[in-house]
Amino acid sequence: MPVRGSRGGTYLDQQTLVAAGAPAPGSFEGNGRGSHLLGGQRAAAVSTVSTVVFIGGVIALFVFAPGAAAVRHTFFNPQQMKQAFLGDPSKGLYSVGKGLILNIEMFLIAEVLILFFALVIAVLRQLRNPVLFPFRMLAVVYTDVFRGVPLIIVIYGIGFGAPALYIRGVSTQSDFVYGIVALVLSYSAYVAEVYRAGINSVHQSQVAAARSLGLSQWKSLRFVVLPQAVRTVIPPLLNDFISLQKDTALVSTLGAVIEANRAAQIDSSTLFVYSSYTVAALLFLCLTIPLARFTDRLIARDVSRRMAGGATVR
Amino acid sequence: MRKTFVLVIFALIGLGLTAVASSASPASSSKAASAVLTAKASSCSHASIARDVYKIGSLTVATDSPAYEPWFSNNTPSNGKGYESAVAYAIAKQLGFSKSQVKWTVEPFDASFAPGPKKFDFDINEISYTEERATVVSFSASYYDVQQALIAMRNSRIVKHHTPADLRTYVFGDQIGSTSLAFINTELRPTQQPSVFNTLNDAKSALQDGRIQALVADTPTAQYISSSEIPKSVLVGQFPSTGEHYGLLFAKNDPLVACVNKAIATLKANGSLAKFQKEYLGIYTSVPTIKP
Amino acid sequence: MSEADATGGFGGAARGDASLSGNPALVGQEAVRLEGVHKSFGVLEILRGIDLSVAPHEVICLIGASGSGKSTLLRCVNLLEPVNRGRILLWGQDVTAPGVDENAVRRHIGIVFQSFNLFPHMTVLRNITLGPIRVLGVPRDQAEEAGRALLVRFGLSDKRDDYPDRLSGGQQQRVAIVRALAMRPGIMLLDEVTSALDPELVSEVLGVIRELADAGMTMLIATHEMGFARDIADRVCFLDEGVILEQGPPRQVFTAPVNSRTQQFLRRIVDAGRL
Ligand SMILES: Nc1ncnc2c1ncn2[C@@H]1O[C@H](COP(=O)(O)OP(=O)(O)OP(=O)(O)O)[C@@H](O)[C@H]1O
Ligand SMILES: [Mg+2]
Repeated sequence: MPVRGSRGGTYLDQQTLVAAGAPAPGSFEGNGRGSHLLGGQRAAAVSTVSTVVFIGGVIALFVFAPGAAAVRHTFFNPQQMKQAFLGDPSKGLYSVGKGLILNIEMFLIAEVLILFFALVIAVLRQLRNPVLFPFRMLAVVYTDVFRGVPLIIVIYGIGFGAPALYIRGVSTQSDFVYGIVALVLSYSAYVAEVYRAGINSVHQSQVAAARSLGLSQWKSLRFVVLPQAVRTVIPPLLNDFISLQKDTALVSTLGAVIEANRAAQIDSSTLFVYSSYTVAALLFLCLTIPLARFTDRLIARDVSRRMAGGATVR
Repeated sequence: MRKTFVLVIFALIGLGLTAVASSASPASSSKAASAVLTAKASSCSHASIARDVYKIGSLTVATDSPAYEPWFSNNTPSNGKGYESAVAYAIAKQLGFSKSQVKWTVEPFDASFAPGPKKFDFDINEISYTEERATVVSFSASYYDVQQALIAMRNSRIVKHHTPADLRTYVFGDQIGSTSLAFINTELRPTQQPSVFNTLNDAKSALQDGRIQALVADTPTAQYISSSEIPKSVLVGQFPSTGEHYGLLFAKNDPLVACVNKAIATLKANGSLAKFQKEYLGIYTSVPTIKP
Repeated sequence: MSEADATGGFGGAARGDASLSGNPALVGQEAVRLEGVHKSFGVLEILRGIDLSVAPHEVICLIGASGSGKSTLLRCVNLLEPVNRGRILLWGQDVTAPGVDENAVRRHIGIVFQSFNLFPHMTVLRNITLGPIRVLGVPRDQAEEAGRALLVRFGLSDKRDDYPDRLSGGQQQRVAIVRALAMRPGIMLLDEVTSALDPELVSEVLGVIRELADAGMTMLIATHEMGFARDIADRVCFLDEGVILEQGPPRQVFTAPVNSRTQQFLRRIVDAGRL
């Protein structure tokens, strides 16, 4: 059932394109047509060989290059990776693993707040009540500003600015709090726009149908438009949250939040190796890859659902 | 057809990478090649050194930017002022390089220990020698023996109360990559985790805003910060030496190290280092010591 | 029902079957009355002075070429579009006057559109009970009870827990009609409810409308199904370029149209084999 109308067209088409253009996992040639022409077996063989050659080449580079031993020592030293993961207070080494817990905490708290706050912003921009005009303006200015300013500057601005103001209750919060506030401010601006795209992708007739039942504008939004909009925007939202997971690392610039990346930095500068960064990178991948795969699955499901629907009412 | 084409491309890329990798060492730096020949470099004649350096005919010296006072002056390493600048030129002279043959280059601290060929002959950037670091790079002998010192705001409790037990109760902060941070963690062991900032400047502003109560830095830096940079801050005192010292940083097993060490020994013996310390770090001699 | 009181109270009427419309009849009142209604979109004047009155229990079919303004007229009655000039009265009360609570007005009017009617994220039963629960404040169990009864009555009880995309187009439109009925409206507005359907699905929907007519529901129906209009309508109105050119009992309009434009229109319909 084609409930998503032309107004959401561009936005949804992008998603569809992304989903359609993504190569099938495990092959470098995701194009089904090609395998038809060449015959499935031969295609599989070719893709296997090309995979082996490629991965083999990369491995060879790390094994046989003249500087390979030094690179392995600096980036992939198992002893030091273990040390970085666990930390060693007697040597002034921080635990990257413990740091990651902070990343996860910041991510989870910020995510919940962003989902809520962004929704408020998006809804404010949507309501046409003249009384709300100043709020609508504020919402527009807010999204413009915080989408435009780099996150790191927002973090600095809040984390270094708020304490310098000496306002009771505001200036005495922890860096953890400042960091989350900055993440929420910055990401809510993006997520609000994602919500808005979702709201606009709900066909006008749905609003008309809701209003014709006597539902107020707010109730139409609440019971009819938003539930549909949120469903549509889950994949792009998850995308934003993948980058939120990584961006929690920026909070460390405030000083007191020694998250995984900062712990890795300290360990690296203490021991003069980069293995701690490798640990941090691997840990971040452990967080983001499952979310990325989950997003792919949702997009694929969404595409197939839209293909399957649309048959009943022309 | 297309598949074959793609395969060929991959093969070519693979070949290309291997070619680049194997050609890397002879082409890019005479230094990397000569690093293996440590034994041969016993002669420290200018002629033999000048052939082995990063850029033939000159001595390339690296430091980070900004270059902090009092180690440098005006963020201009090439002016010969500031302790490290003066030391670098004095060493160059010992090795037979004229002032104009010394070329300065910017090397961020984090990059200075990256594997691969170095883009300098040595790096002089208040880098402390540690055993672990020395497994990755080579250090010269000490050109400055470091003591850590404590900076706080004038009205802070820490100014009067800094027994070892007291010290554990404060919120410290420091710049990333400094051995001062390790000093805080291993020697002072505060109950609250110290804050770690990207730059010393961030740490200074945190001290001013009361987000941290004390900053630890080497004594010259600490004295400079408290006297010239943060109003109403004081140098509380310096800690007894832990044997820490600054060394010049070289590529691992660089044959030049032996010659530079000879030069440093000469500068120590003839009183040059002491003279530079008096000239550039001299105002910092009468610092109270904090009993451990 | 305080909002309803505030607007003067709207009465609907049901001739034979009280269960379909909840509001008591106001005897002698016109259900709907349009007086000189004008509606423009920008410079485009779509309705150019519509006068029409609908008596309780009356079934009126609006016919006319595509773009003649049928949908616009229905949307104006439901206050989905504000009128530029003229008045619309429901059971004697001017609903185009300033200060009228449009939500209160709409809950007495059921409207079904050509398509995109149902809420795709809700089951059939939830679609039907949304209005009663959220607008009328009926407790959920009562609303569901009533909804189930309506579904049984219109042969949709086995679809109760399905989502709309599992339903055929005909079933979807029937559910849409049931959803409107669940609000116990005084009048139903139907806007080409069969025109998006495959031909074999049309009759099941028309059957439902016929049933409503038999039950005495007041209805204003925009349609291209001329045969159906002839069967069911008490009165047929021919809309052309924003005015009602001709109206009367179906027998008269369809067999002996007075106006030449009506004749033209009907000839085209006959030629197309649709009458
Ligand atoms: N929101 C709008 N903005 C601008 N023009 C509109 C709008 N809605 C309808 N129109 C125009 O008004 C005219 C009448 O439209 P309307 O939908 O009322 O016709 P109709 O008689 O229902 O036609 P059909 O039989 O095709 O449904 C059309 O020309 C249409 O383009
Ligand atoms: Mg229409």
